[in-house]
Amino acid sequence: MATLDDELLDLIAQEALIDRAKLSREATLADIGLDSVDVVSVVFAVEEKYSIEIPEDAFKETANLGQFLDILESLIEKQKS
Amino acid sequence: MKSANAASRCVVVTGLGAICALGATVAETWAATRDGKSGITEHLFDPGPNGPPPHTTPAALVEGDVVGMLESALGRRVGASLDPFSMFALKCSHEALDAAGLLGSGSLGGAAVVLGHGFAGIHTLEQSYERFYGQKLARVHPLTVPRVMVSAPASAVAMEFGIRGPVFAVSSACASSGHAIAQGAALIGAGGTEIAIVGGSEAIATAACLRAWEGLQAMSPTTCRPFSQGRDGMVIGEGGGAMVLESLDHATARGAKIIAELSGVGLSSDAFHWTQPSLEGAVSAMSAALDQAKARDARRILISTHGTGTPLNDKNEAAAIHSVFGGRAKDHPIIATKSAHGHLIGAASVVQGVIGLMALADGSAPPILNWLGPDPECDLDLVLGEARAIDAEALLLNAFAFGGLNTCLVFRRWA
Repeated sequence: MATLDDELLDLIAQEALIDRAKLSREATLADIGLDSVDVVSVVFAVEEKYSIEIPEDAFKETANLGQFLDILESLIEKQKS
Repeated sequence: MKSANAASRCVVVTGLGAICALGATVAETWAATRDGKSGITEHLFDPGPNGPPPHTTPAALVEGDVVGMLESALGRRVGASLDPFSMFALKCSHEALDAAGLLGSGSLGGAAVVLGHGFAGIHTLEQSYERFYGQKLARVHPLTVPRVMVSAPASAVAMEFGIRGPVFAVSSACASSGHAIAQGAALIGAGGTEIAIVGGSEAIATAACLRAWEGLQAMSPTTCRPFSQGRDGMVIGEGGGAMVLESLDHATARGAKIIAELSGVGLSSDAFHWTQPSLEGAVSAMSAALDQAKARDARRILISTHGTGTPLNDKNEAAAIHSVFGGRAKDHPIIATKSAHGHLIGAASVVQGVIGLMALADGSAPPILNWLGPDPECDLDLVLGEARAIDAEALLLNAFAFGGLNTCLVFRRWA
């Protein structure tokens, strides 16, 4: 079964049109070229898929994809509990 | 009234770009057209679980990974903000600017971008509405509006190449990119800019949109056979085309390679019918373009017809050519490349213009495909079978849109 990391990375690849192979926890958002418009798309897809609401400033301090995933996963976990 | 110098400035073509079912570049598109290759094949369109069953229909679709091609051309990621019709426009605009030697030249700041589209971001619109009406999800994707809007490709081209002059979209169904070329030339002629990137794009091959076209009873269930006996309609294509237009002074001053002069523009409206053409409208646009270009008596003109393969268009267009040229109608070779790349609707005129200019430069007219035999109502000098050597001095480019909107453009070969 795919882990939540894998699910989210698949979704990012699909929504932001990024080669899935380039997505790893270590990659910075700048490295993979994820801009603010892409983030809007990804946030929308994640909100829809997991029925969560992501605050507007959730990613203010985010430097790499790992931190981006951690924030999404903690919001998804919170919704579950 | 004497025309001002600015209004009579000579406008030349210095770069071409194209992407369609025949290829992702001008070279590929031209080689395939000249060699009589067809981009029309059967495709399956699946509207998904909330729609009717999938159906198969002929279409001429761009092959390969468009995002990958675009990213490799631009040298950067493309991202989530673009509908396919914007991607096509960016790809061919990049090619045209590159060919004109203007990429990274620093001279595009005051340039214009005028692009024509019959529709808009249909892929995005259909996906968003399928979620809303089909899946009954209340929230619509936040990028739907910027992806769908008809001016998105013009904005995308302006942002990509730092173009800050007059930038906008025009729309006139199947004549959209013809009007875009005319409008770009007018901006240069009026002295508003020295460079205009003009053309158009279209991406409407979606399950529901194709059904809408079928509802018009204008679509062929088999293939596109312009001016042929037994022709039974058009086939939808997709892609985009671009031309770099420049004032002659600007092009000469920077030592640009000039491909052709845009020497005549004829625009008219039938004011008659949604789907039936009128003889008067076609004749009036062709005559105006030829008169402005002083080309009515040219010995040999390559005519790139609108040639959709519908019974009505081709008969009307043949009659218009006879009416305009009289006893010399059959002196002029006739091509109809929609038989190869399908009908690109808003992008049709510019893609056919790119092919026509390549034909003029190459001295070779590409064949009309799928022809079954003569129709006495289309008695013209059709180029059939294989490419034919020609010595044409000008190209007449016809586009006659649904709703009766016509553009005819004359380009003169640059000596």
